[in-house]
Amino acid sequence: METITEQKFQFNPYSPIMDADPFPFYKTLRDHYPCFWSDDVNMWILSRYDDIKRAGVEWETFSSSEGNLVDELPGRSGSTLGTTDPPRHDRLRKLIQSAFAKNNLMHLMDPTKELVTEVLDKVLEMGSFDFVQDFSSQITVGTLFAMMGLPDEDHHEVRRNVILSIQSDQETRQKGPEHIGGFKFLTNYVEDIVRQRRADPKDDLISRLILAEIDGDKLEEAEIIMTSATIILAGVESLSSFLSMMAYNMATFPDARRRIAADASLMPKAIEETLRFNTSAQRFKRVLTKDLEMHGQQMKKGDFVMLCYGSANRDERFFRNPDVYDLERNTRGHLGFGGGVHLCLGNMFARMITTIAMGEFFTRIPEYYISTEQLDWNPSTTFRSPVKLPLTIGK
Amino acid sequence: MPQITYIDSDGNKHQVELPLGATIMEGAVQNDIKGIIAECGGSCMCATCHCYIGEEYLDKLPEMEEEEDEMLEGAVAPRTERSRLGCQVRISNALDGLVVEIPQEQ
Repeated sequence: METITEQKFQFNPYSPIMDADPFPFYKTLRDHYPCFWSDDVNMWILSRYDDIKRAGVEWETFSSSEGNLVDELPGRSGSTLGTTDPPRHDRLRKLIQSAFAKNNLMHLMDPTKELVTEVLDKVLEMGSFDFVQDFSSQITVGTLFAMMGLPDEDHHEVRRNVILSIQSDQETRQKGPEHIGGFKFLTNYVEDIVRQRRADPKDDLISRLILAEIDGDKLEEAEIIMTSATIILAGVESLSSFLSMMAYNMATFPDARRRIAADASLMPKAIEETLRFNTSAQRFKRVLTKDLEMHGQQMKKGDFVMLCYGSANRDERFFRNPDVYDLERNTRGHLGFGGGVHLCLGNMFARMITTIAMGEFFTRIPEYYISTEQLDWNPSTTFRSPVKLPLTIGK
Repeated sequence: MPQITYIDSDGNKHQVELPLGATIMEGAVQNDIKGIIAECGGSCMCATCHCYIGEEYLDKLPEMEEEEDEMLEGAVAPRTERSRLGCQVRISNALDGLVVEIPQEQ
């Protein structure tokens, strides 16, 4: 006689299936397990909009002090914005915030436009290209390096190590030696720059961090290095991945693409809807500072909690028809940049670069398609992005 | 409850009553006033709830903290002496009748 055993629901962010398409898993979580303990990653998983919004606001309970990446990198916790709680967080952020305020980014617009034109010229010549390698990372590395005053010749090596840093090993379910090595490269790289800037301060972000004081104290060396390395990590990979997701969406939804190509004023809407629909930063981590009950589950002080921003942005309790990519949607309140005190520092930077880069891209390449059957996705518990996005120009 | 008038980014007027202790930002979001984005949810981290306060109420506002001052420096629409972040201004009885203008850009 056959017996039917109920298959136990699993939420395994180390699975390549999750890398490729987490959204069906999110839906099961939201509908059936809004506060779920995952044995695969040893933490609670929150998936509904209201819960994640709340975690962002209640930073005292949902603390970032033990890291915010699902698989944390050595040395980051407590030394970056995303891994520090207020009040120190707020003081540290204030030092950096102004460099990322919109009116301080305006000077990057013209150089970015020039860079985009140059990169697009090459891409148009190629006809078929890898959007990640040949377009998005060229733009983000170039722009970020200009902003931070880093030497151009280091582009390639820095990017390669950034990508290693964001990955996790799917077998061992943690950061492997190559990933930690990638991050080590970045921190050593930044350390060298810090040494140079100490000797010869310039008008750039790293010099500012070196000279800054919080309540009369200088920043610690680790804070300067880890914060700068994190800005490089986010500026290079997160933003490049976001551009890639937008190109991917527009390949998948050609009607939306044609509307944007014909009317550049739709770009802000397309950006916000892409942030909502499938932003690259899918999941972040918090640690509980006290016992807490949610949805009938008893969580304990010291437990880790995963916040699935990508799921909150598809929560049908908050967004109507969330699985539809809709340029007309009111996207207000989306969590594509997170929320609360840890709202993405680079949100203005990302919006500005995306507007310029993708606006020009769609104008010059209104018709393109994905030229592969199957995409490979980066093995990452925090971010979601294709390893390569092969595109061909034309219909 | 104090009565507040919002002039949204399209110039339309909305008269609403707000409970004491709510912020101007919260009132705008709850009443779906166009032009307030409030991306950081009231953490004084984003300058997307920038608004212009009716002149005659300026001296009735809570004093501006350094954080708000810094954020306003990064606001997109021009900063004036009437500029405040909506999330940092709580409604009190003294603000009854206040008119809040929302800039066209955040």
